[in-house]
Amino acid sequence: MPQEDRFLKPIKRYRIDPRDACRACALDDLTLLYHARSGQTHMVISPVPEILDSIEDGASVTADDLWDRLTQSYDLGDRGEALAQIGAQLEALEALGLVRAA
Amino acid sequence: MRHSLTLQIGPATFRIGSAWRQPVEELTRLYAGYPDRHDAIADFTVRLQPTGPLRRWVRPSILITGDHGLADAAPMSLAHGLLAAEMGMNLQMALGWRRHLLLHASSVEKDGRALVMTGESGSGKSTLAALLGERGWRLMGDEFALLDLDSGAILPFPRLVSLKNQAIGVVEDVVGAQRMGPMLQATAKGDIRHLVPRPDAVARMAQGAMPAMLLFPRFGHDAAIRPVGQGEAFMRLTQASTNYVALGEPGFAALTRFVTDVPACAMDFPSGEAAFDMIDRLWEDGA
Repeated sequence: MPQEDRFLKPIKRYRIDPRDACRACALDDLTLLYHARSGQTHMVISPVPEILDSIEDGASVTADDLWDRLTQSYDLGDRGEALAQIGAQLEALEALGLVRAA
Repeated sequence: MRHSLTLQIGPATFRIGSAWRQPVEELTRLYAGYPDRHDAIADFTVRLQPTGPLRRWVRPSILITGDHGLADAAPMSLAHGLLAAEMGMNLQMALGWRRHLLLHASSVEKDGRALVMTGESGSGKSTLAALLGERGWRLMGDEFALLDLDSGAILPFPRLVSLKNQAIGVVEDVVGAQRMGPMLQATAKGDIRHLVPRPDAVARMAQGAMPAMLLFPRFGHDAAIRPVGQGEAFMRLTQASTNYVALGEPGFAALTRFVTDVPACAMDFPSGEAAFDMIDRLWEDGA
């Protein structure tokens, strides 16, 4: 996301509601998430499991916070690109009901 | 209903009622070796009834109903009454069974371990199960494999094996006409004829087996085997299950356990003989 746009938009915060916690099962080629609240099974690949793991403490985070957390364990490459991808993943996870706007 | 019988197949009990004598007589003959459960409380009821007031006599036309029904089930002719009863039982299982994860798959057992085969109609899973059942394996079922939610075992559901079109002659050559039902010609799926499982398959229908291999057979292609990843196996099995969603988290736990514990392969095969060779090799190598 261009730097200017990020200052124009309010910074969105996300969190995992404990009732949205998923039962995860890592298979050899993807990860399955069972969302008990909806009864839906999601098939996901990296970086979704890593994002969810890093916010499972329930604290509300922005994409920037998440980048800070993830970069301690993973090489995320260019910060701007990584932030855009993290922001898009958070929006997608919110649409699925796996994370909520804080 | 005027004519009825109660059948036990694996863990499920069906009461089949019919306005006509013929389907019940055919079922009675073909299921003669199964336990007599006329005093049992059935899990499901299947009713074969006329589609209208006159249809018991004039061009008899069967409507399949029961505890669980589909709004758009097409009526069938009385000549296909046996098929209507079998479809009715399948429908009740598919729509109503909750005690196990139901997989649309055939299964056979050897040395206490089960080979599970799933695929589209025409993939050859029923024919392979029927033929393996005559070659030293125990037939567990040709249509549904029941995955136990707690133990992870596959439980048998050895109903009559439904054979279609060219598979009919292939199997009849092996087992003889005595164990075959009437030829049902020109059904919605072509010609269909049922095979009575061997007595040991019926006698041991309460005995499950731990799954040791999952196969996705595909008849009519050059022989080829490829391993199937756990994710693909999981996705295809959820598509092959009629009650995965209804079972919720226990279904998820059982199916993830299955795909992480059981090696899976896709097997293309041009003939039964080719399939037996490939299965023997896979079974020795991986199961």
